[in-house]
Amino acid sequence: MNYSRFITQISQNRKPSLIRELYETLTNASPELVFMAGGMPNPQMFPFQAASITLKDGRALTLHPKLMNDCLQYGPTSGYPPLVKHLKTLTQKLHDPPRWADTELIVTSGSQDGLCKAIEMMIKPGDYFATQEPCYTGTLSILHPYSLRYVPVEGDREGMKPEALRAALAPWKPEAARDAVDDVPKVLYVNPNACNPTGVSLTEERRHEIYQIASDYNLIILEDDPYYFVQFGDIKDYPPSFLSMDTDGRVLRFDSLSKILSSGIRIGFVTGPKPLIQRILLHEQASVLHANSLSQVLVSELLTLWGEDGFFKHTQSVQEFYFQQRNAMVKAAEQHLTGLCEWAVPTGGMFLWLKVNNVPDTWDMILERALKKNVILLPGKAFMCDQSQPSTFMRAAFSLITPEQMNIGLQNLAELIREEMTLV
Amino acid sequence: MRRFSSDLWISEDVCYSLLKHQYCNRMNYSKYLSKVATRRKPSGISDMRKYLVNPSPSLVWLGSGMPNPTQFPFREVTVGLDDGEVLHLSQDMLSSGLQYGPTPGYRPLVTQLKAMVELHHSPPRWSESNLLVTVGAQDGVSKAFEMLLDPGDYVVISDPCYSDALCMLASLAPQYLAIENDDEGMVPANLRAALNLAANSAEKGMPKALYLVPNACNPTGTTMGEVRRREIYAIAQEYDLIILEDDPYYFLTYEEEENIPPSFLSLDIDGRVLRFDSFSKIVSAGLRVAFVTGPAPLLAVMELHIQSSIICAPMFTQVLVSELLRGWGEEGFRRHTAKLRKFYKNQRDAMLLAASTHLTGLCEWTVPKGGIFLWLKVVGVKDTGPMIIERGITKNVILIPGKEFVVDSSKPNQFMRAAFSCVTPEQMMKGMENLASLIREEIALQNNQA
Repeated sequence: MNYSRFITQISQNRKPSLIRELYETLTNASPELVFMAGGMPNPQMFPFQAASITLKDGRALTLHPKLMNDCLQYGPTSGYPPLVKHLKTLTQKLHDPPRWADTELIVTSGSQDGLCKAIEMMIKPGDYFATQEPCYTGTLSILHPYSLRYVPVEGDREGMKPEALRAALAPWKPEAARDAVDDVPKVLYVNPNACNPTGVSLTEERRHEIYQIASDYNLIILEDDPYYFVQFGDIKDYPPSFLSMDTDGRVLRFDSLSKILSSGIRIGFVTGPKPLIQRILLHEQASVLHANSLSQVLVSELLTLWGEDGFFKHTQSVQEFYFQQRNAMVKAAEQHLTGLCEWAVPTGGMFLWLKVNNVPDTWDMILERALKKNVILLPGKAFMCDQSQPSTFMRAAFSLITPEQMNIGLQNLAELIREEMTLV
Repeated sequence: MRRFSSDLWISEDVCYSLLKHQYCNRMNYSKYLSKVATRRKPSGISDMRKYLVNPSPSLVWLGSGMPNPTQFPFREVTVGLDDGEVLHLSQDMLSSGLQYGPTPGYRPLVTQLKAMVELHHSPPRWSESNLLVTVGAQDGVSKAFEMLLDPGDYVVISDPCYSDALCMLASLAPQYLAIENDDEGMVPANLRAALNLAANSAEKGMPKALYLVPNACNPTGTTMGEVRRREIYAIAQEYDLIILEDDPYYFLTYEEEENIPPSFLSLDIDGRVLRFDSFSKIVSAGLRVAFVTGPAPLLAVMELHIQSSIICAPMFTQVLVSELLRGWGEEGFRRHTAKLRKFYKNQRDAMLLAASTHLTGLCEWTVPKGGIFLWLKVVGVKDTGPMIIERGITKNVILIPGKEFVVDSSKPNQFMRAAFSCVTPEQMMKGMENLASLIREEIALQNNQA
């Protein structure tokens, strides 16, 4: 594939930092080499010596002084090598990307950092941008300052509709669009699993269709998949990722550890075609330098301790927790919101996307009146590309609340809706 | 409602007028913003945060997409310090450390950092300033550049300049006013001349931003004296520039703290300084904890970009740094920085000994007053680039060629930067010996080619 079509002038202007490049050679250097190139602080001056992290299963991770040094010193931008190795093994196992030899994986400061760099690599003000709608608010906040011409694509309980994507792209002929640089959508953003905010997942069939359309129109697919491990059901039955079907080399996949290990440690990773990952890497070099080493070492040590089995055992238990949460939430919704709202049962993750039957716009109801009813959720408008339009939807998160709170909350919500209906 | 800072909610109308006119005769910040920066706005979710202020206990919060921390596998963390103390993170702290946090930073740490800034700099416009935690100072500087510059805009830098700053700027392909240095850094007369020329030239556009490293500058090791800082601040006032004060070596100047020249932040009567502090050289580089201090309206814009990219700086490492600082107190921090100064001064002295032993006659250098770099001029070599990159490794010595630190890296450059932070005195001797040999061979090579 010709990737230069997708890379903005700003991204093309990026050049490597020689210091960072030389730093990477240190790992293979002869012990005779006197390295005076890096502006690295002397580790003897670091006040932290060692650390012990006790896990909930009683086992402990020990960060002895040598490991602690790795935690406290500058590291390679691409990521702490043992962690990168773990993540590559995991990615190969789960997705078996067809173009693995042309694929690269780097660690980012949370998956959103990777997504932000990828978007900033590919879009300039006024560009077209195809995206699922509704769309995660964090992504919209990355996009908003670029005054983009959105190509929103609607979905249903099985995720983005391929026919809606085709219809949205209909103004362009694939033969002309695929090589054009300006005035044509070149990027497609999608949350394939337990989508934020809709909670639903794309079926396998739809993924193949969408991939084909992306191929016809020569789009880069941004596969933003933070809820991958929080899909309900057996991991063997998970629908294939876009990365796993990427025979063209057009998928940038964003993975996250935030929902399963910790959000506060800020560790995510991006996988994709080498030329695109290289551009993202250069931007990381010129911004955060690298994801913080302590978190990377911690995760690496944890994955080593657990092994593959231990890791999947953990993700299974996380999934089971959210599954119970979902069941309780759906039960509370059935009890209190039947007739008032409609919803699709979430297939993973932590969100219930409610359509309010007789309230054309939930914005004021929530921002002006919900507090008095002691319930807060998010109005659907926040998830739309065009936020001037009314939205009859709302997003309720069920990650942090107990079944009792779900009952009270949805009861309050029902009252709020009924009162709103009298106002409308 | 628009969120102006983590504590301050302002209506759209007031916010607009604040950005347009500021209050009375204060600065109008909107004119410094790039087009993209002007269009940044909070995400839909952050608008809801105002409900978190004094929520009723009966409030059922279904708004936040935060994962449930009961599923995180970590239970307890203890960290041993080099002085024998042990940090034991409480459950609360561990919870904070493992979950998403506020974009401006872990609140206790922000409080500590603000106290530190007030203590060391007493910023004249402190009540109109704010402070944000960043993932390393470099992310702060990079977000600041992206906030202030449109592609092709002018920017003022010193010549030579920190190489990674040039990398950050490269993406925007700016027009550089690269101001020549002397042994105190940027020369005010050169700065004034360059700005005058830009003002009078036919090309449109004046710089809005001036970037410098005032203490133990990377790569030159120079420290700018007080008189010169005041001169440069005055010029920045005259030409209405935002000053980006990148100061990671502040605590690595060899002088006693009382003798460090006043920071630009401490001179900032207008509210035109963005100051970037870092823990990388003093506590840990890998933890990626740093902070930016400056006018609240500018920090508000940077905060939005930080929010949309990393969401928040790593909470876990912020908690660790906060606990470390708390355990130390002011006295402990002072002891630690004194230890650093002594250590790096000894390193410098050993480096100078190695340099004078092996490089006398081959190189020239000024004595660094802080930091970790020796900036060497190789008198007899036209261009250190090929010498180092192509032949240095065969002589078992690596340093950085001077051309990495200038705008036009195609021009031959006689300088090189040697870092003396991590090498032992024995390695320095060996390294300088190897370097001398490399230089002599290069001169011979040059003569053969001539």
